[in-house]
Amino acid sequence: MAVMATQTQEQALVERFRRGDDSAFDTIVERHAAEIAALAGRLLGWPQDVDDVVQDVFVAAFVGLRKFRGDCRLRTWLFTITINKCRSHRHRRALRFRRVTMQEAARDPCTHDDAEQRAMDRETFARVRRAVRALPQKYREVVVLRYLQGFETEDICGLLGITANVMQVRLSRARTHLKKDLAGLTEERS
Amino acid sequence: MNDERMKELLDNADRAAGAPRFHPVSAAGIRRRLRRRRMVRLGVPAAAAAVLLVGAFLWTVCTRTREATPETPTPRIVALEERIQQLQAQTDATLRLVHDVLERDRAERHLAALEAKLASIGDPMKEIERQVDRAAFGMLYYADRLYNELHQTESAVEAYEEIIQVFPDNQWADVARERLSEIKKVRINKSEMKGATKWERQRV
Repeated sequence: MAVMATQTQEQALVERFRRGDDSAFDTIVERHAAEIAALAGRLLGWPQDVDDVVQDVFVAAFVGLRKFRGDCRLRTWLFTITINKCRSHRHRRALRFRRVTMQEAARDPCTHDDAEQRAMDRETFARVRRAVRALPQKYREVVVLRYLQGFETEDICGLLGITANVMQVRLSRARTHLKKDLAGLTEERS
Repeated sequence: MNDERMKELLDNADRAAGAPRFHPVSAAGIRRRLRRRRMVRLGVPAAAAAVLLVGAFLWTVCTRTREATPETPTPRIVALEERIQQLQAQTDATLRLVHDVLERDRAERHLAALEAKLASIGDPMKEIERQVDRAAFGMLYYADRLYNELHQTESAVEAYEEIIQVFPDNQWADVARERLSEIKKVRINKSEMKGATKWERQRV
């Protein structure tokens, strides 16, 4: 019921936007901006600033919202745009700079400091992030969507446009990569 | 490392990284951004075209100015230029001469070909006379056959008279006249023979 109510609200917002009510779009931005920024941040390897990607996502949404048919939830549609924008953003960045490797990614931009971070070793988390960042894009996407966004298989397949088997294969290979990269860490932990 | 452990590690690492920074987006801002993008899309080619036009204009002006104020050449350059002009004039004259000779030769060859063609064509008047003669002879032959073989004297006389009428100056017209006089003589003789027989009968 809650999902249906949300979808109805989203449809109403879209309809208002189609009629020229800009405040409806502002509401959509307000509701989803944080989630989109978080997803973009995870997909891009936790950079400090994801402003470009978030702007691009909402510009694309602004242009394409009139054609939004409501086949899926607005959130899912925005996530699909975010994934595509992150891919092109990484591609543009890769054209400008060399590919990020484990060695090059040694510098972690995160300087956040809280109680949990103090409890665990800061270097450990930085290493985990580097490992995820070093994954090939298609593996990183499934890892982020599965473990960090908490999506089910069906949702991931819909977002990435792949079959369940392909997703499982990618997830398995991503796990293998991560286990290999974080082997020392697990030993330390154990 | 099991699945839960990995998820826990990733969650903690993500949480430790904190929320990424981004500026709030508004519909008005996006409209401005789209307008700016459209202006850039249209403006850049227009600016490039303007720069090209200005460049072309400046280049033309510079070229004209350079042409209008020629540099003072040294005497050696002047002499060389004069020599070049003389050679150019000689070359032009030679080329003109060669061109004239070739043109004359071509005209002569054309004339010879036309004369040869004319010579191959016979005199048209002779040809007409021959055809007329042939026609007259044909009609005479036809009239002779009427008279000699078919014994149609009246038709033959008409044919002979037609020959004389159509071809009065032809040799075959003379022959036709002879034939007609012969036919007249024969007719007179026949009538005389008929008259004598009648007289002799009356006398008896």
